[in-house]
Amino acid sequence: MAAKQRSISVSEFFAKNRHLLGFDNPRKALLTTVKEAVDNSLDACEEAGIAPEIWVNISQTEPDRFKVSIQDNGPGILKKQIPLIFGKLLYGSKFHRLRMSRGQQGIGISAAGMYGMLTTGKPVKIVSKLSIRKPAHYYELQIDTKTNNPQILNNRGDGLDIPAGEKGRVIMAKKNIEWEAYYPVPEVEEDQTPPNPVEVRSGTRVTLEIEAKYQRGRGSVDEYLEMTAIANPHVTLHYLDPDGALHTYARSTDQLPPEAKEIKPHPYGVELGRLVTMLKETKEGTITQFLTSSFSRVSPAVARRICETADVSTRSSVKKISRDDADKIYKAIQKTKIKAPSTDCIAPIGEELLLRGLHQVVPGEFYVAATRPPSVYRGNPFQIECALAYGGQNAAQKVSMELLERLIEETDARTLRQFLMNTFDGLGADSADKIMKAGEFGSRQSPAKLKQAEIERLHDSMKNVNVSDGQAMQVLRYANRVPLQFKMRDCAITQTVMKMNWRSYGLSQSRGNLPSGPVRVMVHVASVWVPFTSESKEAIAHYDEIQKEIRLGLQTVGRKLGMFLRRRQQVKKEGERRNVFVRYLGEVAQAVSDLNGCDKDEIYNHLTRVARRITKEADTKLDDRGNRISPADYGSNVLIIDEDPESELTEQLEKTAPQKKLF
Amino acid sequence: MAKKKAKKPTPAQQARKAKLTAKDKKTLNSLVGLADGVFKQASRGRAPYIEVPSRSLSNVKYSPTKKIIEMGSSKNKRELFNLSQARTYMQTLLVGRGCKELIEQGKTTSIRGLYYLLKHTIDGTREETFNDQGDCDPVIEDVEVALNALREELHVYASNRGAMVGNIQLIDSGDEIDCSRMGSGGYAIPSIVEEEVMQFVKCDADFILHVEKDTVWRRFNEDKFWKEHNCILTHGNGQPPRGVRRLLSRLHNELGLPIYCLLDNDPWGYYIYSVIKQGSINLAYESRRMAIPSAKFIGLRSRDYELCELNPSVTIKLSDNDIKRANQIAKYPWFEKKKRWQAEIKKMLSNGFKLEVEALISKDISYVTQEYVPERLAQGNFLD
Repeated sequence: MAAKQRSISVSEFFAKNRHLLGFDNPRKALLTTVKEAVDNSLDACEEAGIAPEIWVNISQTEPDRFKVSIQDNGPGILKKQIPLIFGKLLYGSKFHRLRMSRGQQGIGISAAGMYGMLTTGKPVKIVSKLSIRKPAHYYELQIDTKTNNPQILNNRGDGLDIPAGEKGRVIMAKKNIEWEAYYPVPEVEEDQTPPNPVEVRSGTRVTLEIEAKYQRGRGSVDEYLEMTAIANPHVTLHYLDPDGALHTYARSTDQLPPEAKEIKPHPYGVELGRLVTMLKETKEGTITQFLTSSFSRVSPAVARRICETADVSTRSSVKKISRDDADKIYKAIQKTKIKAPSTDCIAPIGEELLLRGLHQVVPGEFYVAATRPPSVYRGNPFQIECALAYGGQNAAQKVSMELLERLIEETDARTLRQFLMNTFDGLGADSADKIMKAGEFGSRQSPAKLKQAEIERLHDSMKNVNVSDGQAMQVLRYANRVPLQFKMRDCAITQTVMKMNWRSYGLSQSRGNLPSGPVRVMVHVASVWVPFTSESKEAIAHYDEIQKEIRLGLQTVGRKLGMFLRRRQQVKKEGERRNVFVRYLGEVAQAVSDLNGCDKDEIYNHLTRVARRITKEADTKLDDRGNRISPADYGSNVLIIDEDPESELTEQLEKTAPQKKLF
Repeated sequence: MAKKKAKKPTPAQQARKAKLTAKDKKTLNSLVGLADGVFKQASRGRAPYIEVPSRSLSNVKYSPTKKIIEMGSSKNKRELFNLSQARTYMQTLLVGRGCKELIEQGKTTSIRGLYYLLKHTIDGTREETFNDQGDCDPVIEDVEVALNALREELHVYASNRGAMVGNIQLIDSGDEIDCSRMGSGGYAIPSIVEEEVMQFVKCDADFILHVEKDTVWRRFNEDKFWKEHNCILTHGNGQPPRGVRRLLSRLHNELGLPIYCLLDNDPWGYYIYSVIKQGSINLAYESRRMAIPSAKFIGLRSRDYELCELNPSVTIKLSDNDIKRANQIAKYPWFEKKKRWQAEIKKMLSNGFKLEVEALISKDISYVTQEYVPERLAQGNFLD
């Protein structure tokens, strides 16, 4: 028995427990792979101060196999680091520091590589270029799962150096190495000469081949990239989907988010075990020195107070601190009043950029954003940002016939109803039922068996059914600018949204549910350490402090939405009132003209004029609460596309560039 | 006389030129004035409205000297640009238009006829100008009060209700009628009984007995009560319509006949008496022409249950609604100061039941005509 016991390598553990890292099924594996690579790229670009430009190519090689390659224009990776980063689990720069970044553990991309190796046997291919003059490095890597160490496969274990310039491009072409050498040329008018293409100076490209399944809709790569574009308005994304369509999300600002500072841990956030480890690792001599140098916000005075409370001499040597003393110090820390950690380590997106990002990607009529002041949970600073978009069409109504055909082909939903609900985010059960009824489909209809004519009928009914009533609010969740797409119900963000009373903001909501209406709410939790419920980083844990901040943020945007909706309601009411009057004006004019022989049209015109004046006056004077309504009282950070309810908004958006009002 | 009926069965265009009486001209003028007001207000950019005197209890006053109910001066504005009034405003003007048409063509119609004349779908909607007659009737009354014109001046009449027999001869629309020779059905009292339509020729009767409804009236007619007691016998089929009330008032005022009422012993019977005597709240503007302050109430009285030794099984228990109504009536100013009436109402409430006139039949089929009424007439035993 004893002979059989041996240590387990991290790689072995995760190879068997891939679901912990987000590789539970082929569909999710594809997303996780793209996501890990894109997150790393974004972190790298931002740290290097480069406006990120990212290429995502997905292509099918065999049934159930996809080649995924992601390239960025980041700083590139040093040659000797490449194998470790991509070929060793839990290797990274982000774990040991307290700083806001997308990645945290250093598992992601290497796990994707391992997954690819396990499912297809193909190595991870990496091209890294440090600068325009220097050669690029090309590696083909595998992880040795037994030892959790990288193995370099190409060029007899040395990797390949590709010289810069034309010569290198020839080699790349010969060896079939993919590399985007130039930025895409912006489109210009026909009579102008296009500018010369700009060469990509540096960057990293990782190519993996994995067993996967491509499917659009909720939890898809498409959704992830769209959500990423919203929260990262400084990023340009070029996405080539497996069907060969190129989607480009252009950046709406060149301004990079401010660089987040690294901070030392705050004493409140440190647990006993960690404190003991830190005590062992420290090079400081006395306990006071240890406390002041290892933690933020601990001045010598604070350190002295901690020591006094713990009944430990301020000058006692760290080496001599016993486990009991450590416990006493730990308890003393909790009792001592220490200033909250500095919050400049967090870089929020900012209200204006949130609005821009949201508007760029999500169609709507009303946008509002709010950034809360930073706050602290368990000694970790964090900051909440909320944005909200109202109006616009549901994805179910925008979908084209060809896309619908493809979606139906791809889906694994058993019934049509399930297909509708799973594929189109925000389409509630009620709306799905309405569509089914309008199209006269049976409740057990399977999407796989639809005939061409039936698909056309479905498409028609999806277009014609009013889904905005039964539509549930869509919640876009972000942690450090990374979209969260799974475990919606477990997430503190969704829970907070559901617990809020949205009825007072003019939305309908049944108790304990998401409100309904064409609304998208975006919540961004930025922190030096985002508390996830699991390693696959899919949901945020329920900390009271975080939930409270989310609630306050949502209330801010909710109030403004309420103002907008009330105002719109008011305008609508005015229209309805006018309708009531206008309905009778014809009769009244006829009767008056019959009675005294005056001209019918003349009296009719007089009456309509009076009607117009009266309805306008009566409605603009006061709102529901008796407050005077003035047009510009929304405050800052609101974007309204078109206030006129009588014009067809969606049509306008399609035909002309929306008229933007930023105030 | 009978100018209104001077029209001939001519085509509509010719009918338009029907000869107008001075009264018609006055009514037409006020109708045109109504429209002129709307035009004037609208052309000045003001929201048009019509002033309609209020026809509610709060706007009627009991005049103790004249002993009738009179309408007060409070008026309601009916505005076009008011969500709750827009529809009625339109209807008011439509009724005005309909009446003008009737007057110009020299024709009259029933209120139901007017309702059909004006009912149509509003252009571009699925809404009807009037949904049912109940929608239309109050508007007609509004026009009457707003223009200070009587219904017959607007060429509108109500359906006939009520009948009359007795020793009187009259001319109705040119036909001479002898009310003592009307068989078992009696003479149906028309809704318009103005002098232009009806003239009294000869009357030998000494008084008028007004009963509440047809069934009782038939009993009296069959027993030839009116011959025996030399009176006129009328009924109003419950709450008497204005034709009946106006006729009673004319008979009383022009021929000097006293009026006695035989009504049920319940709040509704009390109120019928009150309407005949003082006028109604709803038509307070017509009390002048209709009320008969000296009308007397013969019965049934609450005490008659004991006096006539009625069987308990003929009583009807008072409903909550009855009790409420009785208390309301007791508080009307024209009942408030009359001790005997207060005692009467109190007695009914303490009895806890009401009595119909027909209850007397339980004693004997002709008890009411042979004993009950003659006895009280002889004794002069009335409530006033």
